[in-house]
Amino acid sequence: MDALDKLGISWELLLSQIVNFGLLMVILQQLLYKPVLNMLEQRKQRIAQGLEQADQASHAAAEAEAEKQTILEEVRREAQEVRAQATRDAERIAQDVRSRADQEAQDIRMKAQADAEAQTAAVMADARKQIADLAIAATEQILGRELANRAEQERFVADYLAQQNGSGS
Amino acid sequence: MFSGLWKRFQIFFSNARNRNITIAIVALLILSVLPWFRVGPPHVELAAESLLEHGPKWFTNGLLTTLLVDLVIILLAVFAVFRMKEVPGAWQNIVEMLIEGMWNLTQSIAGHGSANSRKFFPWVMTIFIFVLISNYIGLLPGFGSIGVWHSATGENHALVELGNQVAMAGGDAIAATAPAEEGAEVFVPLFRSPSADLNMTGALALISVFMTQFYGVQALGVGYFSKFFKNPFKDAMGAVVGFFELIAEISKIISFSFRLFGNIFAGEVVLLVMAFLVTFLLPSVFYGLELFIGFIQALVFMLLTLAFFTMATVSHDDHH
Repeated sequence: MDALDKLGISWELLLSQIVNFGLLMVILQQLLYKPVLNMLEQRKQRIAQGLEQADQASHAAAEAEAEKQTILEEVRREAQEVRAQATRDAERIAQDVRSRADQEAQDIRMKAQADAEAQTAAVMADARKQIADLAIAATEQILGRELANRAEQERFVADYLAQQNGSGS
Repeated sequence: MFSGLWKRFQIFFSNARNRNITIAIVALLILSVLPWFRVGPPHVELAAESLLEHGPKWFTNGLLTTLLVDLVIILLAVFAVFRMKEVPGAWQNIVEMLIEGMWNLTQSIAGHGSANSRKFFPWVMTIFIFVLISNYIGLLPGFGSIGVWHSATGENHALVELGNQVAMAGGDAIAATAPAEEGAEVFVPLFRSPSADLNMTGALALISVFMTQFYGVQALGVGYFSKFFKNPFKDAMGAVVGFFELIAEISKIISFSFRLFGNIFAGEVVLLVMAFLVTFLLPSVFYGLELFIGFIQALVFMLLTLAFFTMATVSHDDHH
């Protein structure tokens, strides 16, 4: 016991220290550990919740983005369709206009050709008639008398000319 | 070669900061050896001393400081939890970090989310905080230097003699000056680190060892004691091992209490001796060391207690 005394150990002080520690532990448990650990747990849940919400938000944003994309796609397709339709319409109209123009041009050309042919024919007939007259006149001049049977002579020349024209062309 | 060295000195001293620091160091070292600044021989006292000369013997400086430590811890705790916020302030953050770190450490040893962790945590956490603050409070200025003078009578005389015996170990210089104190008055510091008081370390050791047995019995029933007491006729070797286990268990009280006491008490003696040898600068180095030791000892006490608690709850028969 003397050694313990020299080391300053006494049962009263030892007991007081034990009681002191016990009290301190109870006080700290109620005052410090429980509130702090609760707070840590609370904050942990809060953070987890926050993260989950952020996750949901980003999910929603992605969904909205996808929806936007589909809508844009649809609109684009519609625009494409409208444009294609417009192009088709325009082409059709252009085709119409062109074909009508062609038709008219054709008509005009045909008419012009017919006119030209008719004119040519008239000129030819006229020319034949004059040639025949001239030929008869020339023959009368040479023979020195009027040809009898004038009508037959005219027919004969006309036949000849027609024959020439037919083989000549 | 020397001119190069001289050149480097010149460059070193051309920096005002370097020059001032060097001058300050040299001045402090010179002041340290001047007689006016010499520190007296260290007051080395194994036991905590009674503060009141004619009052109760149990009112020691160690006890007073224990109450101071309690006050400091409770104040620190109150500041941390006073108006606790989801977004913590600086101090709340530090305390939360400490408690969370220790809680994770406890869980990593006693099992994650286990009931044992929750049971052990208040014990080991309180041990850590209490021991840490006790270790650090002894490093504050005024500890060991502010005190009262007692006339050397009766039991105090014996304490002085013991103190001188211890002091002699510090060297001839201390021994030569120490006898002057004898017969005159005895200096009793007002404060003394509780960790340097065997009553405190012993109390914690008793609590640690007792609670180890308590948790052992709680977990394993009376069968817990079977690791100490085996039937020697059935298992002779086991009985011998059990006997040694029993001795080891009891010696834990001594190892726990003297490890902490020895480290902190010796640390304070080292600081005093260093201050006695060179008044300035030299003790500063050892203050850094003492801060480290104070933390490590608190951690060691806590971890060993936690390990013993956990080991006590595990049945040893399963391993055979």
